[in-house]
Amino acid sequence: MEGQSKGSFNVMEESERNGKGRCGSMVGTCDLVLRVLAFVLTLVAAVVIGADKQTAIVPFKLVESMPPLYVPVAAKWHYLSAFVYFVGANAIACAYATLSLLFSLGNRRKGMESLISVFDTLMVALLFSSNGAAIAVGLLGLQGNLHLHWNKVCNVFGKFCDQVAASLFISLLGSITFLLLLLLPHVFRLKQTT
Amino acid sequence: MASTDKPADTEYRSSLSTPAQAAGVDYFKFDVILRFFLFAASLVSVVVMVTGNQTKFLPFPRPAKFRYSPALVYFVAALSVTGLYSIITILASLYALKNPALKTKLLLHFLLWDALILGIIASATGTAGSVAYLGLKGNDHTGWVKICNVYDKFCRHVGASVAVALFGSIVTVLLIWLSAHSIHNRVPK
Repeated sequence: MEGQSKGSFNVMEESERNGKGRCGSMVGTCDLVLRVLAFVLTLVAAVVIGADKQTAIVPFKLVESMPPLYVPVAAKWHYLSAFVYFVGANAIACAYATLSLLFSLGNRRKGMESLISVFDTLMVALLFSSNGAAIAVGLLGLQGNLHLHWNKVCNVFGKFCDQVAASLFISLLGSITFLLLLLLPHVFRLKQTT
Repeated sequence: MASTDKPADTEYRSSLSTPAQAAGVDYFKFDVILRFFLFAASLVSVVVMVTGNQTKFLPFPRPAKFRYSPALVYFVAALSVTGLYSIITILASLYALKNPALKTKLLLHFLLWDALILGIIASATGTAGSVAYLGLKGNDHTGWVKICNVYDKFCRHVGASVAVALFGSIVTVLLIWLSAHSIHNRVPK
């Protein structure tokens, strides 16, 4: 009743609100899709690196004259603290993606939206820093560092390194998804104002 | 429903015609101050990192330089980019203080670029932090020995530089929150 009288009162306003509503629903759909994508990507990244384990047989010389001993050496992800941080950050981002998905499905109030965008910013910072940390250590493992006498380990643990690289790539995609989640509503607003 | 929509729409129109009037509190001064902090943080961390070179005689000279590690090179490059960006945005912000009609559009652009810079500076902090931690503690499993007991001055410089960069990334997060908050006030949905 009230809406009808208002519609007849001002046609321009009604059409403008319809246009805005369509844009808003598009933002909402993109938001949901991106959140599901972020959840899947961070979960897969954490699981891929969490399941990463390899045992290799390494020749080990005790005395020069004797033939080398062959010792099994294990590589696990939690031996390197950068990877522990990486898994922790991805797990936090994954849990947050689930929570925010539930909240944004539940009710869309204005206060909730700005709270979600505040935490999105934090997740972008967390994921990018953990990606940087893990990539730096992965590069050290791949190439080593001559100046510090840190030998590369990826010639021995090939499968381990491949799995780390895959996980890093997936997590990078996940952090770009969070960046898009943060930017998307504002890009649409920029289009609206211009 | 209609009663809640109506004031928002009128505010939307008035913000289109006169943007300066619609804003309750003007946050642009805080914006300039925070951007200045970002500039100072990136400048300090680059200078501290670059001046950290140290040469030890054990017994022949063995220098430690930031450019021996790709992670620290990335760190210096990323913070230089952040410093340049903050100079440009300080100028833009000051321009907007004089020219209030530009503010709303500028805020949206700031938010987009700030988010990208947040990605860059956060990843640089993580990169340098993980390498610095390896240098401090070493790693038994991979046979990477710690070097901070030998190169004490170099390690102190790297640690201080990473701490300042961490402060810079917190400032960037605050900048994004500030822009998002003032856009929220200015342009209703």
